Amino acid sequence: MINELNLIKLKEGEVAEIITIAGGQMTTKRLADLGLILGTKIKVLRKAPLWGPVEIEVRGSRLVLGRGLASKILVKPI
Amino acid sequence: MPEKKLNIILAGIANVGKSVIFNHLTGLHQHIGNWPGKTIEKAEGTLHYKGYTIDVLDLPGIYSLGTYSIEEEISREYITKEKVDFIINIVDSTRLETNLLFTLQLLALQKPVVLALNMMDLSRKKGLSIDCQKLQELLGIPVVPMIATEGKGITEVLNEGIELVKTQKPVPKVQKELTAKERADLSHQICREVIKVTKPKKISWSEKFDNLTCHKIWGYPVMIVILVAMVLTIFKFGNWFSSLLEKITSGWQIGWENIFGISIWASLGWSAIESAIALIQIALPYIIPFYLLLFLLEDWGYLARVAFLLDNLMHRIGVHGKACIPLMLGFGCNVPACLSCRIMETQRERFITGFLTTLVPCSAVTVIIMGLVGKFVGISWAFGLYLFAILIIFGLGKLASKTLPGEATELIMEMPDYKQPNLKTIVLQTWFRLKDFLYIAGPLVIISGVIIEGIHLAGWLPAIANFLSPITVKWLGLPTITGILLIFGILRKELILVMLATLLGTANFAQVLNPVQMITLALISMLYIPCIATLATLWREFGWRKAFGITGFEIVFAILIGGIAFRILARLF
Repeated sequence: MINELNLIKLKEGEVAEIITIAGGQMTTKRLADLGLILGTKIKVLRKAPLWGPVEIEVRGSRLVLGRGLASKILVKPI
Repeated sequence: MPEKKLNIILAGIANVGKSVIFNHLTGLHQHIGNWPGKTIEKAEGTLHYKGYTIDVLDLPGIYSLGTYSIEEEISREYITKEKVDFIINIVDSTRLETNLLFTLQLLALQKPVVLALNMMDLSRKKGLSIDCQKLQELLGIPVVPMIATEGKGITEVLNEGIELVKTQKPVPKVQKELTAKERADLSHQICREVIKVTKPKKISWSEKFDNLTCHKIWGYPVMIVILVAMVLTIFKFGNWFSSLLEKITSGWQIGWENIFGISIWASLGWSAIESAIALIQIALPYIIPFYLLLFLLEDWGYLARVAFLLDNLMHRIGVHGKACIPLMLGFGCNVPACLSCRIMETQRERFITGFLTTLVPCSAVTVIIMGLVGKFVGISWAFGLYLFAILIIFGLGKLASKTLPGEATELIMEMPDYKQPNLKTIVLQTWFRLKDFLYIAGPLVIISGVIIEGIHLAGWLPAIANFLSPITVKWLGLPTITGILLIFGILRKELILVMLATLLGTANFAQVLNPVQMITLALISMLYIPCIATLATLWREFGWRKAFGITGFEIVFAILIGGIAFRILARLF
C-alpha cells in the first residue's frame, strides 16, 4: 500500500493509525499489553536525535519506544 | 478475640504511585526481600486497621499478567494460587485508558478488586474530570478517588476493601480472558463514557520544562549541568562530612589501645572496628546524599528523560536507555548499582549492565583518583581517567553484547509527567538501599578486614608483595609495596590510598611515586577487581560462576591495560 509507513518516518506532531505490527509474537504481545494494536491511533510527540527512541502518545499515555521497535510498527497517517 | 488477618495486594502498572501508597500503609513496617529463588524484589509490610492485621504485598509494576517477564509470571501465580482477600488496583487517573487495560486483565482473575483512582489532583490540573460513580457501575467494583502523595483516599480504599470481605460480595463476572483487542476497545469505550475534558489544555510549567529537557540539542547540555551539579554537591558535602567524621574518630585507636593494650587480639579487634568505621565514613557522607539526589531525580521524573536521551548511546553497548540508571548509581557505590540492574527486563541485559557497573569508578575509587592523581599530577589527568573509564565501559559493553548469546531488547518505557517529588518516598528508598548495602557489605568487609590484619600480623605481607612483584614491578612499573595495597584494596578500594600513606609513613605521595606511577596505580585501582562487597552482590545476583568470571576477567584486563598505560605514559612524562 502506498500510504503505509514505518512509525519512525512520521514527523513530530503527526497522527497515524497502526496498520501492521511487523514483529514476532513476543513483540506483538508486548505492544498489545500497552494498548498498541491494529487500528490504534497514535501521535508522534518527539523523536530523540541520532537514531534515538520515539516518544508517542497513545490512549492518553506517553510512551517511549526504541527505534528498532518503533520501526516494526507500520502506520497510515490520518 | 484473636485478631483477624487479611492478605491484600497492591497491583498496578509502573509509575502510578504504588510505592507511595505502600509506604503510606506500612511505613517502616516493611520487609523487602526476594521472591523465592528469583532475583525479583518482593516488598511486604503489615498494618493494623480496625481490628485487622493486614499483610500488604506490593507486586512489581507490570503491564500485563502474561508470561513476558519473570515479574508477570510470579504476579499471576501469586494472585491465582495464594489466599488473597482483596486487591487494590492502583491506576493513574491521568492515563486511565492505558491503566484500565491492566485492570481488565486483573478482573479476569476473579478476585475482589478495589480500584484506587490515584493522582486526582494531576488529572484535574490537566482538565480531566472523571465520573467515579459511572466508572464504578461500568466496572462493577468499588472506585475510590485518591491523592496518595497527600494521603487522601487511602483509608477509604481500605474501608471499601474490608467491606468487600465482610459482605462477600460476588466478584463481577467479566468474560474470562478477553483478547487484547477486546480489552482495548472496552477500555476506550469506558473512558469515553467517564472522562470529560473540561477545559482546554494550556501549556503548563512542567510541559515547558519537559520540552527543554527532552530537546534535541538543549536536552544534552541541561542533562550535563544537572548531573554535574549533582556530583559536585555530593563530593563537596562528602569531603566536608567525611573529614569531620575523621576528626571525630581519629583518637579512637589510641583510646582502644589504652583500654586493651597492645596485643595480637587487640590489633585484630581494632581492625574490625576500623573496618566498620571506614564503612560508615563512605556510607554517610557519600552514599546517602547520592541516593537522596538520585531518587529525587527519579521521583521528579527526570531519570526517564535521561533514559530517553541516552537510549541511542546505550544501544551501542547492547543495552537500552534504562541501563543508564544502574550505571549512574555505580558512581556512588557498585553494590546498589548491581542490585538495581533488576530494572532491566532480560537476564542477558541484567548481566551486561551488572558487569559494566563494576567498572564504574565508585566513590571509593574517586577518593583514589582525586587524592593521588588530582592532587599530585593535575586535575585534568584525573578527569582523563574518568573519561578513560567511560571509554572502557563502552568498549567492553560492545564486546559483551557481541559475544553473549541473545538479542538486545528494545526500550519500552512510560514517560511520566514531571511532578513534585515526594520526600517520604525518597527518604525511604534511600534508607532501604542503604540497609541493603550495610547488610551485604558490612559483615564481609569486617571479616575480611580481620583476616588481612591477621596476615599482616603474621608477617606474610612482604612475601605476598614479593610474590606479586613480577607483575607489579616488572610489568606495571610500580613499587613492590603495591602488591600489599592491591590486596587491601579488595576489601575497600580507598584502602589503597590509606595503606599507601601508612606503609610509606607520608601522605605526600610525590616523594615516593612519580606521576606515571600515580596514574598507573589509580588506573589499576579503578579496574582490577570488584571490591569484596560488590563481588558478594554479583554472586547473589548472577551466581558464583559469573561473579568469579567477571572478577577473573577484570584482573587480567587491568594488568594488561595497566602495563600498556605505563609504557605509553613513561614516554609522555
